[in-house]
Amino acid sequence: MTAALETLPPPTTVAAPASWRRALRRVLRNPLSAGGLVVVVVTLAAAALADLLAPYPYDLTNFDATLQPPSLAHWFGTDELGRDQLSRVLHGLRVSVAVGVLSVGLSLLIGVPLGLLAGFYRLLDPVISRLTDTLLAFPFLVLAVGLAAILGPSLTTATIALGIGGVPLIIRVARSETLRLRELDFVAAAVADGAGDLQLMRRHILPNAVNALLVQATVSVPAAIIGEAVLSFLGLGVRPPIPSLGVMIASAQPLFRDGPWLAVIPGLAIVLLTLALNLFGDGLRDALDPRESR
Amino acid sequence: MGRYLLRRLVESAVTLVLATVVVFAGVRALPGDPARTLAGEEADPVAIAAIRRRYGFDQPLPVQYYRYLENLAQGEMGRSLRTGLPVTDTIRDALPVTVQLAVFSMVVAVLIGVGAGVIAAVRRRSAAEWGANTIALLGLSIPNFWLGLMAILVFAIAFPVLPASGFVSVFENPVESFRHLLMPALVLGSGLAAVVMRQTRSAMLESLSADYVRTARAKGLSNAQVVLSHALRNSLIVVITIVGLQLGALISGAVVTEQIFVLPGFGKLTIDAVFTRDYPMIQGVVLVTAAAYIAINLLVDLLYSVIDPRIRVGGAAL
Repeated sequence: MTAALETLPPPTTVAAPASWRRALRRVLRNPLSAGGLVVVVVTLAAAALADLLAPYPYDLTNFDATLQPPSLAHWFGTDELGRDQLSRVLHGLRVSVAVGVLSVGLSLLIGVPLGLLAGFYRLLDPVISRLTDTLLAFPFLVLAVGLAAILGPSLTTATIALGIGGVPLIIRVARSETLRLRELDFVAAAVADGAGDLQLMRRHILPNAVNALLVQATVSVPAAIIGEAVLSFLGLGVRPPIPSLGVMIASAQPLFRDGPWLAVIPGLAIVLLTLALNLFGDGLRDALDPRESR
Repeated sequence: MGRYLLRRLVESAVTLVLATVVVFAGVRALPGDPARTLAGEEADPVAIAAIRRRYGFDQPLPVQYYRYLENLAQGEMGRSLRTGLPVTDTIRDALPVTVQLAVFSMVVAVLIGVGAGVIAAVRRRSAAEWGANTIALLGLSIPNFWLGLMAILVFAIAFPVLPASGFVSVFENPVESFRHLLMPALVLGSGLAAVVMRQTRSAMLESLSADYVRTARAKGLSNAQVVLSHALRNSLIVVITIVGLQLGALISGAVVTEQIFVLPGFGKLTIDAVFTRDYPMIQGVVLVTAAAYIAINLLVDLLYSVIDPRIRVGGAAL
């Protein structure tokens, strides 16, 4: 038995860099997902470099140039205070991306350990699964609105509310992956090799669940970006004068007839970003799990 | 079947009880003293103490929770701090608006989603499939509230053909009700339509490659007969489940859609309650939403298990 074990390959099957390169190649071969990736990268860069790229400070008012339609001086026009909309959209994108990424990070931070535990220990499973069902019984936005009511509207609240709202889905993915992986031979081999529970979860199960979690995360980020815009639009997320895209659309509502571009352009920015993320996410899912592709 | 039904009933009951704990604890976690809020800013300590005694805020939390459950069992959810009206009555008035909106949206979503899904599956690698896929992706990527605003911009401001706001019950004036709900339902149904389309397409592709479809074709049935009465019929099981699972998203979407189109429904009630810190109302709307969601999920599960017996077996093995 010992001799047989010694001839086995090392039990860790962490996704090798080569498989990631292969996945990236597959993503790039599909024109739609490649396009999505390019738009995502460009948007991320624009959001990160908003201070350098923005032609004006986002809060600079100019009462000589209020409600200007898009022109060469102001590509996206100006609002009722004469603030340059391009600069505000660039800064708004930064807020959207930050809330999207941080809230999904929070969901992963809470959801992955709970999902691993639920999948690994049969005793904990009913408890964690029931808690997940309870959280799922509150529709995403109702939960977020409730949390915003408790914590008071702010950028942090929006991030926490969206992060907690996303936890149940992450728990489900992590749990089902753990249930699947736990039965596989390489885990049995690691057990025979004397690996403890923590080591099994950390070194053998988690690295192999990364693909599924990553795919879920790419779906969750655009949902969180839209969620942030919705919360801010309702007045429960980012507060003015921070230029979130949702805040921009909300404050454009009374100016609908005089300055429709104020609502149209920030909305198009959200659509472009979420569409690109969804296209990239679809491509990534197909690349990492060829069974899913049709 | 009996055991499965019992198990799902018990699970749903436990989830509902846990939901009451979450709502009870959540409202008590809200900043500020509820007795002070009820008494008003100017109230003296004697009045605050009286209110605290009257509402049982001076009791230990488990006792308060027990009283809360006792009242709930009698359909008593307190009075709105804003209007003074019973929360139960206010919710009863708002619910029909949201139910009509949700049903209309679902019909829109299923008609568009199933239609586009079937076309995308039957006409693979054609312009029709490409178009259906693009529309589905757009449906998933466009925020509801923005689509609503754009719809108002086009159909109520630029070309005034539909009303931008307001609600007329379908039981009062069906034509006006349709005109008022058409835009909100299209907006709310668009995201669900995208999900339904993707699932229908995927289920149809699987059905179309199944043996029974080949047999149907071998029998000499026309393409339309094969697609509609064989492949689509079997794919609809998936659609029922998806519609059920997406109900939460629909309720979330209704919160925003009602806000934009100024519909006096459940979603608007929720937002107004949060903004006015109307705690009894927040408690009521959140709990009713959770209860409805749990009940509908249970119904969908049971319906699904009747249609597809494999689910019961799979469910029992979990």
